[in-house]
Formats: sequence, C-alpha cells, structure tokens
Amino acid sequence: MVPTAWMVAFFVSSMLVVVLLSFGHTQADGQPVFGTTPANFAALWDPVYLELFLRSLGYALATVVLSVVVAYPVAYAIALHGGRYKNALIAAIVVPFFASYLIRMYAWKALLSDEGLVNSGLRKTGLSDGIAFLNTPWAVVGGLVYGFVVFMILPVYASLERMDVSLIEAGKDLYHGPLRTFVTVTIPATRAGLYGGMLLVFLPALGDFVSAQLLGGPRTYMIGNLIQQQFAEGQNWPLGSAMTVAMMAALTVLMIVYLRATTTRTREQS
Amino acid sequence: MSARRLERKPFLAVAVTVAFFAWLYLPIVAVALFSFNSAKSLSVFSGFSTRWYSDFFSNSALLESLSASLRIATVAALGSLVLGTMLALGLERITSRPARAVGAVTLMPLVTPEIVTGVAALLLFTGVGLKLSLSTVTLAEITFSIAYVTVIVRGRLGSMSPEVEEAARDLGCTPWQALRLVTLPALFPALLGSGLLVFALVFDDFVLAFFTTGVDPQPLPVRIYSSIRFGISPAINAVGTLMLLVSGLLIVAALLLPRLFNRKTSSLDLITGGERR
Amino acid sequence: MTGAVPSATRRSLLKGGLAAGAVAGFAGCGYVPSKTKPTESPLPKSAKSRVDGDLVYFNWADYLDPGVLKGFQEEYGVKVIESNFDSMEGMYAKINAGNQYDITFPIAKWVAKMRREGKLRAIDKDQLSNAEQVYYSGSYFNDPWYDAKSAVSVPFTVYKTGVGWRTDKIDAMTGSWNDLWNEQGAGHIFTLDDQDEALAMAALLLGYDVNTAKASELDEIKKLLISQKKYLRGYSSDDVNNMSGGDAWIHHMWSGDFLYVREALAKKKTDYDFEAPKEGTPINSDAYAIPANAKHPGTAMLFIDWLLRPENAVKNIQYLYYPFPVKDAVAAFNDLAKDVPDADLDVKDLENPDVFRLLPADQVQARAAVWTEVKAS
Repeated sequence: MVPTAWMVAFFVSSMLVVVLLSFGHTQADGQPVFGTTPANFAALWDPVYLELFLRSLGYALATVVLSVVVAYPVAYAIALHGGRYKNALIAAIVVPFFASYLIRMYAWKALLSDEGLVNSGLRKTGLSDGIAFLNTPWAVVGGLVYGFVVFMILPVYASLERMDVSLIEAGKDLYHGPLRTFVTVTIPATRAGLYGGMLLVFLPALGDFVSAQLLGGPRTYMIGNLIQQQFAEGQNWPLGSAMTVAMMAALTVLMIVYLRATTTRTREQS
Repeated sequence: MSARRLERKPFLAVAVTVAFFAWLYLPIVAVALFSFNSAKSLSVFSGFSTRWYSDFFSNSALLESLSASLRIATVAALGSLVLGTMLALGLERITSRPARAVGAVTLMPLVTPEIVTGVAALLLFTGVGLKLSLSTVTLAEITFSIAYVTVIVRGRLGSMSPEVEEAARDLGCTPWQALRLVTLPALFPALLGSGLLVFALVFDDFVLAFFTTGVDPQPLPVRIYSSIRFGISPAINAVGTLMLLVSGLLIVAALLLPRLFNRKTSSLDLITGGERR
Repeated sequence: MTGAVPSATRRSLLKGGLAAGAVAGFAGCGYVPSKTKPTESPLPKSAKSRVDGDLVYFNWADYLDPGVLKGFQEEYGVKVIESNFDSMEGMYAKINAGNQYDITFPIAKWVAKMRREGKLRAIDKDQLSNAEQVYYSGSYFNDPWYDAKSAVSVPFTVYKTGVGWRTDKIDAMTGSWNDLWNEQGAGHIFTLDDQDEALAMAALLLGYDVNTAKASELDEIKKLLISQKKYLRGYSSDDVNNMSGGDAWIHHMWSGDFLYVREALAKKKTDYDFEAPKEGTPINSDAYAIPANAKHPGTAMLFIDWLLRPENAVKNIQYLYYPFPVKDAVAAFNDLAKDVPDADLDVKDLENPDVFRLLPADQVQARAAVWTEVKAS
C-alpha cells in the first residue's frame, strides 16, 4: 500500500533524524551534528524543566476541563434544540476557526489590553475600574481554550446527535433532576465524543507556544516555548530534539494509560 | 425516528451558547472593524477607510502569498484525502499487531510540536538534497495531515457495517467496483469533513510552512507569523478579514454541495463525519 | 478477518522501512561531524550593478517602506519576491538549507559569522553610485568591527536599547537600568524577549561585558534577572503595542520603536519619555548583504544603490523611525528625535564597546542556558 510506505518513509525518517540529533551536539561553528552522547538528556534532569512540564500539563488539563464545560451546553443546545438552524449554527462555529489563528489571538491581545476595548467598555459602564487580563496564566489558558474548544464541540455534538433522546427523557423520570440526568445519562452516552475531544484538545494545547508568547506573563512559560527557543535563539538543536523526544515519550506513556482506562470502561459499560 | 424536541428549552444551555458565540466572534468583529480603521492603531478607531484593503490588493507580494497558500492547501487536502483514506481502509481490514502499531504511528503527527516537525522536515529535505520550494511545503503538509483524515475516516468506517460491501461483492462487483460504488459514497461526509479540516489547518499553518519554503512567494501565515513577535500592522487585519470571507464562502459552498448532489445525508455530517439516525 | 498480515501490507511496511532507513542515511550525510575550518579562500567576487533578474528579497516583515519597494520595481522593471524571517537563526537556517536569496539583512554579528563562512559575496563600492553617502571619508563604516573594510555589507540601520516609560504613570526615574525594577511600576514592566538584550541589560547593571560568558558572571546575571520577575509583567518584543496599548508603564525598549510610539501613535506625546541608562546602552546595527549563492546579484546591487538614495532613505526613516547612516538623510532622523535626545543616535556611537559580538557555540549555549532558566523559572 502506497500510503503506508509514504507515511513510514517520510514521517518516520524525519522522526528518526530528530532522535539521532537528540544524541548529538553542536560544533564550534554552530552546526548541529549527530552523535552518541546522552548529555542532552542528562541536562533535562533539572527541577526547572520538570516544573515547566508540570505547568504545561496543568494548563493543558485546565484547557480540557474548560472546553468540556463550554462544549456540552453549546452542543446540547444546538443538537437538541437547534431545529432547522442546526447546520447554520455548526457552520457558524467552524467558520471563525478558518480565519488565521494568529490574527485572532493577536486581536485578543489588543482587545484585553489595559486601555483596549474591553477595559474601556468596563470603565464606561462603571462595572469596573479596569482589569489586568493580559500576561496571566488565565489569559494563557483562555487563549488555549479559545483556540481548541472547537475540537471538543464537534465530537461531542456528533455523539449527541447519534444518541437516543428518549434516554434523557427516561433519565429525567428516574433521576428527577437535570444535573443528575446529565451526569448519569448524557455523559456516558456521549463518551465516544468526549474522549475523542479530550485527546484532540489536550495534545495541541500541551505543545502550543503562541498563547504563552502573546498573552503570557513572566511565569507562564510552556514546553512549546522552551522547545521553540532551542531551535531559535538558543541555537541548540540537539537539546531541542532531546526535549522533544522526552516530551513525546512522556505523552506516549500518558496516552497508553488513558487509552487503557477508557477502553476498559467501555467494555464494562456494554 | 424519535421526537427530537424536548418540552422545555433549557435556559442555562441556551444562555451559555449565546455567550459562547459572542465570545467566539468578538475578536473577529474587532479584526473586521479595525481593518477599516484609518489610523494604524489597534485600540482606537479613528475613522473609516479602506486603505488597508487597497494596500493589500495593490501589494502583489501579499496577493501572491494568498494564492500560494490557497494552492498548497488545496493540493495538500486532496493528497492527504487520498492517502489518508487508503490508509484508513487498509487499517480497518487488518487487526493484527503490526498494523495496530502502524495505526498508532499515524497518530504521532498529532502529538509532535510543529517546530520539531518543521525542523525535521527541513533536515530531511536538505540532507537528501531536495531544493526547498512550494512543492516541499506541500509534501510536508500532506505527510503531517494524513493523520487527521485517517482518524476521521476510520471513525466513520467503524460505524459502517461491512455487510453492505460484502453483499455488493456477492452480487458480482469487483473489489474496486464495490469500493467505488458502495464504500466511498457512504464515506462521503467523512471525506468532505476531513478534506475541509485539512484545508483549514494547512491554509493557516505557519511553523511547518516556514521551515520548508524555498524562495517562492511564502504562504500567507508565514508572513503573518514573522511579524507577530514585534507587533503586526493593521494591514494584517485586512488580510484576516479576507481569509475569513474566503473560508466562510467555502463552508457555505460545502453546506450546499450535498443538496446539489441530491443527497439525503445531512450536511452537518461534513464536519462530524458521523451519521444522524 | 484473518489474523495473518496480508502480504501486501507486509511488503509495503518493509519497503517503507527500507525507504526510511535510506532517507535517514542520506539525511545523515549532512549532519556527520566534520572538522570545520574557516574558509581561507578569497571572497566571491562582487557582481556588477545591472538588472539580471527579479530580486529575491529576504528580510524582517514591515522593515522597509512599501513605497520604496514599489518604486524600485517601477524604476527597473523587475519584481521583488519577498520572504520574511522572524529571527536571525531562522534566516541563517534557510540560507544554510540552500535557498538562493539575492539580498538579506543580517545583524552585525551575523555579517561577521556569514562572512567567515564564505556565505556572502563581496560588494564593490565602485559599483554603487551613492556609495559616498555612507562611505565618506572618516565614516565609521569604512572599516566597521563586524566587516573589515566593509567588504561584504552596506550598513542599514543603527539602534540602541534603553528604557521607555510613561511620564503620567511614573513619578521619577533614576536614569539607570535599575528603573526596570521600579516599585511604582511593578506589574507594568516589560523586558525584551531577546536573549542578547536581556542578558546585556543585567550585565551592564553588574558592570560586566555585554557579551560575557563567564560562569560566575552568568550566574549573577541569572539571579538578577530572576529577581526582576516579581516586578515584571512579561517578556515581550512587541514594545510598540505594549506601550501604546497601555499595558506597559516601563519598557525595556529599542530606540526606534520608542520614537514610533511617541511620534506616530501617542495621543499625548509628553506622556512618553525614553532614557539611555548611565551604565551603558547596547548599540547594534544591521546591514544589507548579498549571499554567495544569489542568482541575481546584479539586481541586488542596484537595489542597494536605490536604498542609498537620500530621498528613499528619508522615506524609510519616516516609516521605521530608525536612523539610516545616509549622509543627506541624517537630518530627517534628527528631526524625528529632536524632543527625545536620549533616543537620538550618532554613527560614532558604534565605536561604543557595548555591541553584540560573534561568540563561539559553547559560549552561546552557556548564555542560552541561563536565559532558558530565567524564562522557565
């Protein structure tokens, strides 16, 4: 099969190059070369990097949680109450996603600045004296959610669409409360979409560098920024490659644990 | 078909949805608004002017960048659609462990940070002696977009029953005919959906594109990204608004296309790749 | 479904695996350690100034007045094909990868580096009709530190780094880099997101050389920069929008960007001021250079000559707010900077020792490690 050969050739070999480079070093003239030294990996064994990784994990997880909180009501309202306008509403969600991610994030920076539109509005309506939105962890997470929530809404919506609505009716009769119905009926019934969405939001959020670069503060550095710096200013491609290999190894472990956990539950449920 | 309407409109869900759309569109409205700003500021609107648009249309470099981006995205979408679907079909038939390993490998692009894939692709192309150009960008983009197509198509294949294809074969179709007349049409929503998704992702990609472009006109997002560190000019807002319009028109076209082919499949599936009961 | 792997898939996996190995093997050829020697071979000869094709232009985004570019296209009937980079490292990587640009704009120390590696071709001053605008007798650029006898480059802009601040938000500044630790401005202070600039700022405050790579000095620099974090709002090179958007009350800033904010964007000019700290200010410059593998170097020579025309230099000065060392255009810059003497620059300032020099890779990495730790902690 052609595509398998293609994928293996291009993708695998480019990843191989990264792995080989992670064991290399930079020559005196600045040229990165392959090698067999584990020095780059040893350099990663620093509490600063560990803290950075945990922080990135935290931001990515917060992004996932917030995405779920936003996605479910929206998908629910459209799927079950959208009527004739369902398609248009979904299209209305997807269209902005096509406009440049960079421009939209930059627009947030302009909007949320201390003398920008949002703060001017708050001052004029007397609601507040002005809030310093930017350069905080919440600004970074907000940016991440803004960029990736679509990846949660669509799978959840698809699952809700396929779900038998009478289940909800039955649930309401049984459980006497919308929240309990939601938790015990709706979420399990849509778990395929939920799990897919969680993965599609978590992974890119973890490796993102744009949000922290544009909206972040002095203590919001993420893995994506770190790796990017090694390939740019730091001029240390081998170290950057080692960081990537380490990050992907950690993610693979997490993914295996995650897939095991979600498949087992599926088997139990059926 | 069960009744899809419930008795009461859930107030909370609707309220959240309205708030969500407002939040989603706020920067877009701001970008569009300020693209008509007569001054160079991004915070104060000084007056209506179309100078940024006339700058854009008279700036052949930006126009060429836009055209380059459109071309790359189209070819990449088609290429990854073909390859990704073949891969998905192949993987679906096989359940052995080597195949599952290949299946896992196809997910790796989703996990890898773009700067790494960019540098890796650059090292690969230059190491092999391939000259960088828009073709190398397209090649790289296809390789790293196949994963999206494969995941979505496999999801759709998973909910399709293989009996239909088997029935077609029993009735005398060759495997190729069965594929063409039965499977592919049934996959149409997933194909359209993943094709559009790849188009959007590639059209907006900047990191991978930067590392793999040659001296041809650079894709538009590379141009945008190279100024983002030091602050972008409002001319970029005009660019953003135009990109939005172009993609908005594409989506509208995609929504209407199924109706043109007189399909019962609802157009909403184009993105979710699923099927409504 | 059978459990056996169909031979088609097995074959293609095998083919793919072989292909991967072969490709990686070839790619490896480019990255095998080798003994590097600085090229002793003579510089690639200069081209003659004449049209020999379209100009393949590689520069920062928005760095030249679009009108000047358009004028060049009209005057000589050629097209300008523009590519942008957002960092010197990115520029270098693309040139190293074999892309053939006709003209690029390296910063001083990168001119030195690329010249040493034989990547730039000579620029014969006699081919430039406006050469004496820059290379008048006694000019610093006749023999700048980064390019002996100015063989491969023509100076583009000069700039210095200082501190921009809001006079309506901050009562008093001390004229020292310590102002970036100002109590009143806490939470509204920005440092440039630039390794060389940030390390230089701390080095100057401690009395060290801006290019230092000594372990003990770097350690002190690191501690100093980390101590700034509780006052800092962020690391950002978007000084123009941070200042004009009101998020920054004190900003580690480039002189040209400050002038742009004050003269072009500010609602009230007197709200903004700039200081060149007494411990020293880094001075930097960039230049035009023609890569050795350029396909249309003749057109590139014409382009440089075009940019050296005083009327075009004036246009660029009024677009960028940075000084261009073009003799007959200097007055235009002095006019822009007249209210803010600290942001004014003289070409002689380049003789200042606080310039960013080319360093060997291990020193760069030592400095990079410090910067990484500062940003990550």
